[in-house]
Amino acid sequence: MRLLTDRPRTWLRRWIRRRQGTDHGPVVLRRGRIYILPTRLGLAFAAMLLGSLNYGNNLGLGLTFLLAALGLVAMQACHRNLESLTVSAAGTEPPFAGNAAGFRLALDNPGAAARHDLEASTTAAAAPPVAVAAGGETIVTLRLPTRRRGWVTLDRIELATRHPFGLFRAWAVLHPELRCLVYPRPAVRAPAPPPAPGSGAGGRTHRGVEDFAGLKDYHPGDPPRHIAWKAHARGGELLVKQFAGTAAAEPVFDLAQAPGADLEQRLAILARWVVDADAAGQVYGLRLPGLELAPQPGPRQRQRCLAALAEFEAPVLRDA
Amino acid sequence: MREVTEPLRRLGWTSAGLLTALGPHYLYLRPWVIAMVLGLCAWRLLAERRGWPLPAAWARGVIALAATAGVAASYRSIAGLEAGTALLALMAGLKLLETRGPRDHIVLIFIGWFLCLAAFLYQQSLPMLAWVLPTVWLLAAALLVVARAPASPLPLAPFRSAGAMLAKAAPLALVLFLFFPRIAGQFWGVPAADRAQSGLDEEMSPGDISELTLNDVVAFRVRFDGEPPPPLQRYWRGPVLTEFDGYTWSRPRNQAYFLPPVSWHGAPVDYTITLEPTGLRLLFALDMVQDWPDAVGWQSWDYQLLARAPINTVIQYRARSYPQYAAGPVLSPALRNRHLQLPPGRNPRSIELARRLRAGAASDADFARRVFERFRAEEFYYTLTPPRLDRDSVDDFLFNTRRGFCGHFASAFTMLMRAAGVPARVVAGYQGGDWNQIGGYLIVRQSHAHAWSEAWLPGRGWTRFDPTAAVAPERVERDLQSALPEEAGVPGRLLRQSALLWQAGMLWDNLQARWNELVVKFDQPAQERLLQSLGFDDPDWRDLALLLAAGLLGAVLLLSAWLAWEFRPRRADPVVADYQRFTRRLARRGIDRGPGEAPRDFAQRVGRLRPDLAAISRAITELYLRLRYLPAPAAADRVHLRGLLRRFHP
Repeated sequence: MRLLTDRPRTWLRRWIRRRQGTDHGPVVLRRGRIYILPTRLGLAFAAMLLGSLNYGNNLGLGLTFLLAALGLVAMQACHRNLESLTVSAAGTEPPFAGNAAGFRLALDNPGAAARHDLEASTTAAAAPPVAVAAGGETIVTLRLPTRRRGWVTLDRIELATRHPFGLFRAWAVLHPELRCLVYPRPAVRAPAPPPAPGSGAGGRTHRGVEDFAGLKDYHPGDPPRHIAWKAHARGGELLVKQFAGTAAAEPVFDLAQAPGADLEQRLAILARWVVDADAAGQVYGLRLPGLELAPQPGPRQRQRCLAALAEFEAPVLRDA
Repeated sequence: MREVTEPLRRLGWTSAGLLTALGPHYLYLRPWVIAMVLGLCAWRLLAERRGWPLPAAWARGVIALAATAGVAASYRSIAGLEAGTALLALMAGLKLLETRGPRDHIVLIFIGWFLCLAAFLYQQSLPMLAWVLPTVWLLAAALLVVARAPASPLPLAPFRSAGAMLAKAAPLALVLFLFFPRIAGQFWGVPAADRAQSGLDEEMSPGDISELTLNDVVAFRVRFDGEPPPPLQRYWRGPVLTEFDGYTWSRPRNQAYFLPPVSWHGAPVDYTITLEPTGLRLLFALDMVQDWPDAVGWQSWDYQLLARAPINTVIQYRARSYPQYAAGPVLSPALRNRHLQLPPGRNPRSIELARRLRAGAASDADFARRVFERFRAEEFYYTLTPPRLDRDSVDDFLFNTRRGFCGHFASAFTMLMRAAGVPARVVAGYQGGDWNQIGGYLIVRQSHAHAWSEAWLPGRGWTRFDPTAAVAPERVERDLQSALPEEAGVPGRLLRQSALLWQAGMLWDNLQARWNELVVKFDQPAQERLLQSLGFDDPDWRDLALLLAAGLLGAVLLLSAWLAWEFRPRRADPVVADYQRFTRRLARRGIDRGPGEAPRDFAQRVGRLRPDLAAISRAITELYLRLRYLPAPAAADRVHLRGLLRRFHP
């Protein structure tokens, strides 16, 4: 049974792929790219109506025709429920390997009618159904399971609906070539990072509370009394005043210094150090062969460092 | 009061739909079936509410077996309309017990629709339609609710949406109804309702007809081409009963006789009969019928019209009759014998009376006149509630009770004729009818059921004798009500006494008659007439197919246009449009708003580039932000923004 349904499905997918090509940028679901077929229940409904043609008393016939027409209206409504929606990529949520990678899609409804029960899926994952209000926008997140670090790509998304009656299933296929980075999973047990060069010795700059050194992005853990409220009132962005002498040691984590049997283990240990240092609100840098990230604090630094670890000699993974 | 959970809400919708769809069936189903379905529904709802576990598969299997056995036992079948409906209703109740996901719910809604369809097999009346249409709507709304994915965001108004969808489906359904080809002369495979319908039967025992006259239900309606015949001629011939066992009259098994010829006199009466379903092959026609559609029926040797198939749906046929006729100038010895048969040893006193009376009479006709006189002169009473008669029913009636209804008189008269050597038989049918002034047609009800006699007289052939007319002439000349004393419980007496009620009843009946003729009885000839009125001179199936295709195309286009309007692109927010006017005018001066540039940032930048526009840009931006993002923007702001824009020409 599976064989019977699986092979045509593969052929259909290949045909759609050839027909539509790869999508770049936002996709408007025009008529030409919406497919529709009756569901098993829809076929059962049709069989029931055909059977009841037999009981040809006129009112029975009339009711049969009314229900058949209702089925046709449902088909049109099902098709319309997808039509002219705009689907665009709305960013990704990079995970650690083993967690799910989030691909965000924005569904934009330019029409005056709300859209219901839209189900986005890929071969490996499906998102719970969402609705889009008239003229509204809804973000749906597809969560792909991952196993290894590196780039995971999503090259086939199906957006389907069985609204309103479950008699038909309309669907559209997108081939967007979306990518999401998967960070290496931080090692569970890791040795403490080697001490920062020159820590404890003289020679390095002492930033004290007394000397104002400049502004930097706020990140959780910064003392509230250092927030530059005046600057915030002017520009809106939350900034923190930095003073010479605040910082303790500023380690630069180096692949060469990370212990481990193979590259993946050592990257995992580096990831652990980065995550811990960030959680502690430290200023830190990262050094990989051919790449040097200068010490900085904050979420952006964490992201930069983890991305570098993920991409380092990384294979590209496809979702299917 | 606990909150109604989503699964409970869905179950509520499905159960409500199912029970409403079962509504018309409550009239026909056995009480235990109804009780069991209601019980299963209540069980499932309570289980959901209280969190009881649902019965296991084996338990459901046991209940299903028990239900099937129950249906088989109490209906003696599991096929047939009634047994089938009962089984379907019970299985729907059982399905409810295992209902969890949307799929189970959807199947139940389908069953609900099927039950609506089955209801039309019992009755195609206006009240039935008035019940079924809202039910179909309710079921569609329920389907909208239950077919949704669990935990769907965005609520939807089920009744409104389902109503809109049905309204969109209506034109398509109408086109299909009008142009879907009907097959000529065919009684569709309508399953027979297996309950005994009240109506004339192919046999008659004393008391049968008086029971029937308590029923005010319509038997058939007649539309005359010209003037209707006078009441005295309104004899609607039904089953002709020749076999007598001393108590019951019935139709003979053997029908292999030639039809004795009839000669016609006077003016014909042309009319159309719309007959309500009886489940039997009996057709009715005014005496004596000369012409009728061959496809509908045939005439047996005793001049009775018989349908070619049992009448399980409303049918309509035209006929031509001659009130003046001479039927069967010659009687074959076989037929004569047949019409003289009496059960040996029964009703001896009546036989004796007949021989005595015949001896004193000059001719058969004179003898009949004397019997009539006897009925008139002696104390015979015409009553709806005659006493029960013993085995020798005619003796008991003539010499003992002397109280009877038309059947008693017809039976006694026919028996006396036979005993005196005059060939005779009982004819059952209807006599009279209520004239509907509003619609201009005659309503013949079960309460018009009647029985009379036919005797064969030399030189005159089969002649009608109605002994009831001798005892209660008002019955034949006017109606049953005038023939009976005031206190007798006659159906519809209240209706007949109040002019207003009578008028209202006629109005309603007229509506039903039109409904029957236009919709229920929309058959192949009616379809042909429709095509002719649309300008097809000689319509055939190709024209029909063409019209069907064109109609469907038109209806689908209409539907598409309707949906296109519903899903039309939304008009931009007027406030956004105003702001866009502002940015467009600046763009013309070379100041473009960058993608993702916040309005306030943009206003600041405009202020830096064009200090002369700084103030107005800031004002426009602030007004725009307030109008767009405040929960309840002030109308004054809108006016103000408009005013600023009018003056804004960079």
